Amino acid sequence: MTERFQTVGNPLLEDPKMRVRNASVFYADKQAIFDVDLDIGKNQVISMIGPSGCGKSTFLRCLNRMNDTIDICRVEGQLELDGQDINDRKIDVVELRARVGMVFQKPNPFPKSIYENVAYGARIHGLTDNKVQLDDLVEQCLQRCGLWKEVKDRLHEPATGLSGGQQQRLCIARAIAVNPEVILMDEPCSALDPIATATVEELIHELSQNFTICIVTHSMQQAARVSERTAYFHLGKLIEVNDTSKVFTNPEHQLTEEYITGRIG
Amino acid sequence: MSLAPLALFLISATAVAYFIGYLRAFKIAKPLGGVRNLAALPTYYASMVSLWALIPGLIVLALWVALDGAVIESLVKASLPEEAKYLPADKLGLVLNQVALVAQGLGDISILGLEYQAAVERQMRLTQLSRDALPLLVGSIAIISLLIGLRSVTAAHNARYSVERLFNIALFLCSCIAILTTVGIVFSVMFESWQFFQLVPLSEFLFGTHWSPQIAIRADQAGASGSFGVLPLIVGTLLISAIALLIAVPVGLLSAIYLSEYASARVRNVVKPALEILAGVPTVVYGFFAALTVAPAIREVGDAARAWGAENGVVWLANLNVSSESALAAGMVMGIMIIPFVSSLSDDVINAVPQSLRDGSYGLGATQSETIKKVIFPAALPGIVGGILLAASRAIGETMIVVMAAGLAANLTVNPLEAVTTVTVQIVTLLVGDQEFDSAKTLAAFALGLFLFLITLALNIVALRVVKKYREQYE
Amino acid sequence: MSDRKDIALRRAESLQKRHAAETRFRWYGRAAISFGMLCIVFLFTDIFSKGAGAFQQTYIDMEIHFDPEVLGLTPQSTPAEIEQASFGSFFKKALRQQYPDLTSRKEKRQLYGLVTSDMPLTLRNQVMAEPSLIGTTKSIRMIADDDIDVYYKYSYGRDNEDGTSVGRATELQQSIVAELAQQGRIGTRFNNTFFTAADSREPELAGIKGAIVGSMLTLMITLIISFPIAVATAIYLEEFAPKNKLTDFIEVNINNLAAVPSVIFGLLGLAIFINFFGLPRSVPLVGGLVLSLMTLPTIIISSRAAIKAVPPSIRDAALGMGASKVQTVLHHVLPLALPGMLTGTIIGMAQALGETAPLLMIGMVAFIVDVPASVGDSATVLPVQIFLWSDSPERGFVEKTSAAIMVLLTFLIFMNSFAVWLRKRLERRW
Repeated sequence: MTERFQTVGNPLLEDPKMRVRNASVFYADKQAIFDVDLDIGKNQVISMIGPSGCGKSTFLRCLNRMNDTIDICRVEGQLELDGQDINDRKIDVVELRARVGMVFQKPNPFPKSIYENVAYGARIHGLTDNKVQLDDLVEQCLQRCGLWKEVKDRLHEPATGLSGGQQQRLCIARAIAVNPEVILMDEPCSALDPIATATVEELIHELSQNFTICIVTHSMQQAARVSERTAYFHLGKLIEVNDTSKVFTNPEHQLTEEYITGRIG
Repeated sequence: MSLAPLALFLISATAVAYFIGYLRAFKIAKPLGGVRNLAALPTYYASMVSLWALIPGLIVLALWVALDGAVIESLVKASLPEEAKYLPADKLGLVLNQVALVAQGLGDISILGLEYQAAVERQMRLTQLSRDALPLLVGSIAIISLLIGLRSVTAAHNARYSVERLFNIALFLCSCIAILTTVGIVFSVMFESWQFFQLVPLSEFLFGTHWSPQIAIRADQAGASGSFGVLPLIVGTLLISAIALLIAVPVGLLSAIYLSEYASARVRNVVKPALEILAGVPTVVYGFFAALTVAPAIREVGDAARAWGAENGVVWLANLNVSSESALAAGMVMGIMIIPFVSSLSDDVINAVPQSLRDGSYGLGATQSETIKKVIFPAALPGIVGGILLAASRAIGETMIVVMAAGLAANLTVNPLEAVTTVTVQIVTLLVGDQEFDSAKTLAAFALGLFLFLITLALNIVALRVVKKYREQYE
Repeated sequence: MSDRKDIALRRAESLQKRHAAETRFRWYGRAAISFGMLCIVFLFTDIFSKGAGAFQQTYIDMEIHFDPEVLGLTPQSTPAEIEQASFGSFFKKALRQQYPDLTSRKEKRQLYGLVTSDMPLTLRNQVMAEPSLIGTTKSIRMIADDDIDVYYKYSYGRDNEDGTSVGRATELQQSIVAELAQQGRIGTRFNNTFFTAADSREPELAGIKGAIVGSMLTLMITLIISFPIAVATAIYLEEFAPKNKLTDFIEVNINNLAAVPSVIFGLLGLAIFINFFGLPRSVPLVGGLVLSLMTLPTIIISSRAAIKAVPPSIRDAALGMGASKVQTVLHHVLPLALPGMLTGTIIGMAQALGETAPLLMIGMVAFIVDVPASVGDSATVLPVQIFLWSDSPERGFVEKTSAAIMVLLTFLIFMNSFAVWLRKRLERRW
């Protein structure tokens, strides 16, 4: 057994929203994540960066057990949400995902109307009592995502007709309609053009007042723009965690430095 | 006359031609400084020459075999005695047949009468001539065309082009067989149906409520005596198909959903091929199962229910009457047969729904069943509908199960416990054993065939469109 | 978002119901699968339980005295004389001698009915082969009549509560059977006849050899015609066909033909091959022609899939070396696609082997007692034989039908597993 890797920087916090200890992920026999310790602070934006295949997306999917949908995937270690172990068999994965929402790399609106997309979560969780409340909720969410003005006249048209940026904002609106506590974002802007990216980044910034947000990104600029803390992953290991400004100006670990200066791609 | 020696001759000519062509190519290559100075490889020259030797001879042979009988017949017709020439067409055919038989020595001239002697002799002469001339003709044509082929073995001529073009044409002709088959189906059912509708008006066929072709025995007034109302058959077909779909659709769809969304890989690897077994069982086996196991079982249950009903004063049960050839038995077994059909089509369709949609729904905290019911199912719906249409078309066209288990009684009923008959059952019963080709009864089978063809064709076209459109949506 | 607590409460409220719905839905799925599995198990056990008995045939041993006087023969008789002798009445007399108490006509008839009606002929053949039998007494092993066969196999020695028995063996016959059994002169052994005889009106003499040979001949024709044409069509459509209306039309035709009911192909065969071209009815040649038209689409579709699976890089490589299109296809694409094509062909052949309806149309339902020798002889095929037998009222034929189904299913399972094996074995992953 190799000696346990020690993350540099400040992975641990006081009173975190989510606490991760000793997390490892395996795909069949192959280990993808090695013993990660990390705390995620309340109403904070933390970004995960690192070269492709470093395991940052895999790590993110552990946080709301999306990895359950992959048969061969196995997660070990302790992952807590508000002090509650989320890998516990007794934990209801449905409720967990309602509390920890997710936005995916590629916009994936359901092939239904815009309205139905946003209303879907509220409906399945029984969050509203009548049509008026639901209408309100949909409008509110779309407004928070800055989409209301663009779509209010075609709420009942298929969501697949929206542009890529609009679709992604719709997916975010869909996620916040459930009013989760944490939102996980897996490279939410990688399929978008720069203007749409700017809109989404602005949105993330606004949402961070009410939500804890974990964002995986391959763009260091984006990490620098939106997040308060940054975690750098390399080959399945969490190398360094620190305040974003610190990581980008004065990295402690050599690998981190090589990455942000562009020597590791 | 046996064609085997002639075919053998053509094949050996082809082989010899290949060899000659091969040698010839080398011979002309030599003064040029080797094979590389030819326009094509020697094997191509050889193939070209052998094709020359084969194809013209083959065409002549085929034409001869196809036309020889007709030509002889028309020539013989000229030497028939005067009175025979004015016979109606079918009688004339009979006479000509007899002439041919006598000429072959299979009958005595006395069955025709001595005045037919001339015709018989002519028939014998012509047949002999044809028999002698064919090998000569084919042989000489094969040799001549071989020589022509050999002449075009020159350094400048690219034999590869010729051979490949021919190859291309051959491939094209093969693929036209599909069209020919369709045309053949359409023509065969159209032609006989057209004759049928001369005898029975279309409106009576489509809207008549009584089907009993058996009455129409007397050929001269066939259309007038039998009744050919297709409605009971349609209702019967739809009833049985509906029962089948009622079983196959929920079972097939739910198994497909369970297998693709819930089951572990191990379960899937066992259950999926096991279900496919049902699709591989021949329909005659299902028919046997339906007729000898399911139908008696249903009847027994029905009798028990009736006895119970009579005892306990439940009037509708006491009046229950289960036919021994009930639509229910045939429909149920047919349903079992199309379960794998529905499940494998739905499986394809469900698997085509992108994983990102599932992720999106799970990410919002939906349960698996909510994701299936509210996201995957609606997204897959067009494809599933297409699959169900295909299954329906299969149920409507299914023959053996209903022939063996549904019976012949053309009742106009929607009661699944009664005996009904279907379009396919009638086609089979009208044609099996019956040789008369111009009676309304036989022709009716073709009219039913046309009807069946059109219905299934329409269902298939719509279904294939829907499925194709659905696939494109996610490509 | 101060209402988070409120939302969590609401969520929790509905959660139980949602989970119940989830569990329910899962059980629907399980129920559906169990239903399917149950159908398979039930279908197979039903057929096996009905058919297993047919592989055993009941035999009765009888002492037969080849009385020269009754036969009017001597050991020196010529074959022509043996041919002339009345073995029918001799045989009846020989039986009567064993059971002298049976005097009434009715009783005698029941006695004769113990063994197959074919017996006098068998005895004649034995004497023909061995004239020295005449004048001697020999224990002859005889095939029991189907009623006796069924009674002995299914009812004899078993307590049936209501006292009924399977088949139509009479009380007298049942008592004779009991007596024979005590003497150890009745028993069952492997039913050779079933595999060596063709059809017969008597269940105990009926076999499936004729049908199997008929099926083989028909399949041979189908394979010879459909495989080359299907492969040529698939190659043309995938590699050579220009994108135009005609090509589209061909494709539409193929896809539709794949879904046309098989009985329609029967109509086609009847109208075109038999009526128009004047080919004979009931022969494997026509059956094979009809079935090849029917299986063409299946083979074409799977062959096209196999060609599509060959990566374009291989074509590019060959074309880049200056090979012509035809060379590329024949030298590279075709060999790589062949395993897939063969798999599709075997599956198509399995389909053709199980097909019944179109063959009924072209008259392959005739009652044929000879094993066909060529594709031009009248013949029947295995599924049609099953259909014919299933229509026969005798109890003995139910068993024979099920047994024939077992044989047919064995062939099909063998063919399909061979196809699966072939695919696994030769499949290449790019």
